[in-house]
Amino acid sequence: MSMDAFLNDAAGGLGAEHVNTAEETLVRYGENTMPGGDRRPAAVLYPGSTEEVAALVRLANLHKVALFPTSTGNNMGLGTRSAPTEGMAVLDLGRRMNRILEIDDRMGFAAVEPGVSFQMLADELKRRGGQWMNSTTSGPPQGGMIGNALDKGAGYGPYFDHFGFSCGMEVVLGTGEVIRTGDGSIEADNLVNWHVSKYSFGPILDGLFAQSNYGIVTRLGVWLLPRPPAIRSFHFAFPDDGDLEEIVELCRPLKMSNFVPTLFRVANDLYLIGSEVPSPAYAASNGRQSISDEARKALQREHGLGAWTVSGAFYGPSMEAMEPQIGRVVDHFCASGKATYIPHEAALEKPALACAVASFSGEPTLTELGLLKWRPGGGNAWFTPGTPMDGRTANEFQTLGRAIYEANGLDYQVMNVAGPRFARGLHVISFNREDPDECARADAAYRALADAFYARGVAVGRAPVDWQDFHMDKLMPSFRDACAAIKRALDPNGVIAPGRYGIY
Amino acid sequence: MKTAFTADQLAEPEIAAADGILRTCVHYGFCTAVCPTYVLTRDENEAPRGRIDLIRAMLETGGRPDAKTVGHIDSCLSCNACMTTCAVDVDYLHLADIARAYIEENYRRPLADRLLRRLVARTVTDPARFARMTRLARLARPFRGLLPGRLRTLVGLAPAALPRAQDLSGVHPAEGARRMRVALLQGCVQQALAPEINAATVRLLTRHGIEVVVPPEAGCCGAFTLHMGKADTARAAAARNVDAWHAELEAGGLDAVVVNASGCGTVVKDYARLFAGDPARRDKAAAVAAIARDVTELLAPEDLRLPETAVPLAVAYHDACSLQHAQKIRSEPRALLRAAGFDMRDVPEGHFCCGSAGAYNMLQPEMAEALGRRKAAHIESTGAAAVAAGNLGCLAQLGRFTALPLLHTAELLDWATGGPLPEALREIPLPEPVARKQAAAPTGAPAAPPPPDASSGGTPGAAIW
Repeated sequence: MSMDAFLNDAAGGLGAEHVNTAEETLVRYGENTMPGGDRRPAAVLYPGSTEEVAALVRLANLHKVALFPTSTGNNMGLGTRSAPTEGMAVLDLGRRMNRILEIDDRMGFAAVEPGVSFQMLADELKRRGGQWMNSTTSGPPQGGMIGNALDKGAGYGPYFDHFGFSCGMEVVLGTGEVIRTGDGSIEADNLVNWHVSKYSFGPILDGLFAQSNYGIVTRLGVWLLPRPPAIRSFHFAFPDDGDLEEIVELCRPLKMSNFVPTLFRVANDLYLIGSEVPSPAYAASNGRQSISDEARKALQREHGLGAWTVSGAFYGPSMEAMEPQIGRVVDHFCASGKATYIPHEAALEKPALACAVASFSGEPTLTELGLLKWRPGGGNAWFTPGTPMDGRTANEFQTLGRAIYEANGLDYQVMNVAGPRFARGLHVISFNREDPDECARADAAYRALADAFYARGVAVGRAPVDWQDFHMDKLMPSFRDACAAIKRALDPNGVIAPGRYGIY
Repeated sequence: MKTAFTADQLAEPEIAAADGILRTCVHYGFCTAVCPTYVLTRDENEAPRGRIDLIRAMLETGGRPDAKTVGHIDSCLSCNACMTTCAVDVDYLHLADIARAYIEENYRRPLADRLLRRLVARTVTDPARFARMTRLARLARPFRGLLPGRLRTLVGLAPAALPRAQDLSGVHPAEGARRMRVALLQGCVQQALAPEINAATVRLLTRHGIEVVVPPEAGCCGAFTLHMGKADTARAAAARNVDAWHAELEAGGLDAVVVNASGCGTVVKDYARLFAGDPARRDKAAAVAAIARDVTELLAPEDLRLPETAVPLAVAYHDACSLQHAQKIRSEPRALLRAAGFDMRDVPEGHFCCGSAGAYNMLQPEMAEALGRRKAAHIESTGAAAVAAGNLGCLAQLGRFTALPLLHTAELLDWATGGPLPEALREIPLPEPVARKQAAAPTGAPAAPPPPDASSGGTPGAAIW
């Protein structure tokens, strides 16, 4: 293996200006928010096309060096743009491969390169007249759409499932060969079905490239939703932690029938309030204890939010036209007498709920990044189990998770993003990365959470870079062997991100 | 971020302030994706995160800064896009001010650099000198090719001619019942370069029942020199404003100090900090800063006195960095212009700086030009017939790269509410006036785009609602 020889050849092909080995750059590209420390790469390269990516993969095979592709590097709480191990050559696809390749205004799709961010596509759709909207996360507006979709990221509207609502890929395999998926695999000039049909002849290979390291996706089709003339949200605050059971039972039928077109954001107090203010209790125990129930209650009162607050939205021709639907959900959620209704206009005055409205509206928003300052010191990891939409189970999981957070002196911050049958539980582990003790507690908490949830049949939706091997080791050996066998078939020299998602 | 200042260093108020800011940075790096100089260069030291590290090292080490650090601080636009996106609210704006002042005091620039910066600082902040230098530049233009690089840039940036000066000093009574009394900052370069903006602002405000007083003693706000590290010069200019406005505040009462150049507005709103170390003027500065408002903060859409017809001119709204990132004003100008009947268009990549940035386009012409061209292309992609912005610097910069008419928000609002047709619009065909809609349809999302409209380029089939 010779990184120097690889970089020399890469500079010859790309141009020396697209190979960066500056010390400042390498330090920054290794940074992340995990307790396990930074992972300095050997170099950062900026390919400008699929052909250049393929050429770099072939060079990596020749020189036996490991590449780590990244799109815009905003994978916050999951590893940022840090490779699983240090010493890899980062392929920063966001630098030059950031073009919106196509927008079809009749079929409602866009084809994008890895550097295209949620904000870029939203800007472009707005510029073209605002007929279409893209699903956005509530994370960084500069987050990459391809990176997010391939990591199984999600938004909150009808097209929330970013991998599910993608269609048609171009991929550079570990051998340097380039494939197109679906009808894109036809050798023709006019691939009319590439980004409109997910199912065509042969195996559906697209799934292989989600949360894996079998190839580098350089183009992806993403489906767009016609933008409704009006979006009217509704919100309900519930006072007690245990109200989660009732909330889940209330949400399920509304999603099962799709009466409510968006997902439900079922966020706890500290998740919402944490996006607005830092923890008022951190300093008192120097981060050694969880915030008290009394302090949480005070924050709930101060911010006009519940122990849990539910948010959803209707799409319609006008605000007035949605009045009947609003009336029905208000009756539904308020039947037991526990919920406090927060209307759309009032929610827009609360940053944490305005953020939900923006997310339902395909508007990138910065508000939720505020969660990253709940505790000082920049430590942040996301634990992402899920629950069936059964109230008792969801509540049992809450009790389980809350106890582990508290045992480790951390603050329970969770948003359950609820569909008809399943809710993904976005658990934020906020900690002071400059405090070794707090780092150790964050790591211990993550592992204890994962162990406890695995024991109940629950894996995670996305895994932070520190614990990807840990998660893979929990799966059945034959599954792990199958993943490794596919790796050997598509990337025999293991040059693409070895170790990503625990696959070697 | 951990710092290593000594106790002696921390006894210095500015170092202590810097230390507090530096400690908040945890290197998340969101700032890099929105930093114009990083996006164009991919150099970590050309990003806020890298600059913060350099500033920390410079202040910790003390003594003479190295040229490399100075270069990276000089190349920062102070657009503050990083502050909008920062998850932990690092106060980069003031950290950069501290760093620039430190450089000014401790670094000896090459002679040509010193002369150029002095020329810029003295010329732009004085309308009379600006007029004289513009005439000189006009004479020098045929020989521009013979001039050294930066001077050649300055001559190229100078306007071909200046409009007739208009001194608005004095009191402009409100039309009808007076509901407010405000002081207007005439500014420095704006008076010479675009006096029509102040005139339109006065007409707009007085038409809406606001008495406008323009104290003759007030002038340059200090922003130009402050961002060049010349804090004392900036304070001297700002002190004249503080004294003049505070006297008005005491005598006749003021509801607001109105600023229609957002770069200036940002600094005026920050006067309390600028004078924090001056016991004699601290309270007066705080009182003035507390009532400083951008002109678009003073009027609400429902306040506008609108005729029965509107001219639905397609207008691209350019967010000046000082408005959107420093003052966090984005929705107010749009709401006013939309209420006035204009067909408002958002500009893609709106968070990005146009490259004006105070004296930046004079001192860092290459980067400024790259950004100016990029912004102009985005503006033109909207298909708008004209461009509006709330900062003269942006309008002047964009004028170098687009032929579209460029107007201050106040000029458009003045015209829409009964003022004269702005000079910039006299040469373009205008849409026919249309009957004003009774009320705009409410939309659900904050800052949501307009409803689907089959005439705006998309397919009618998309509008299934």
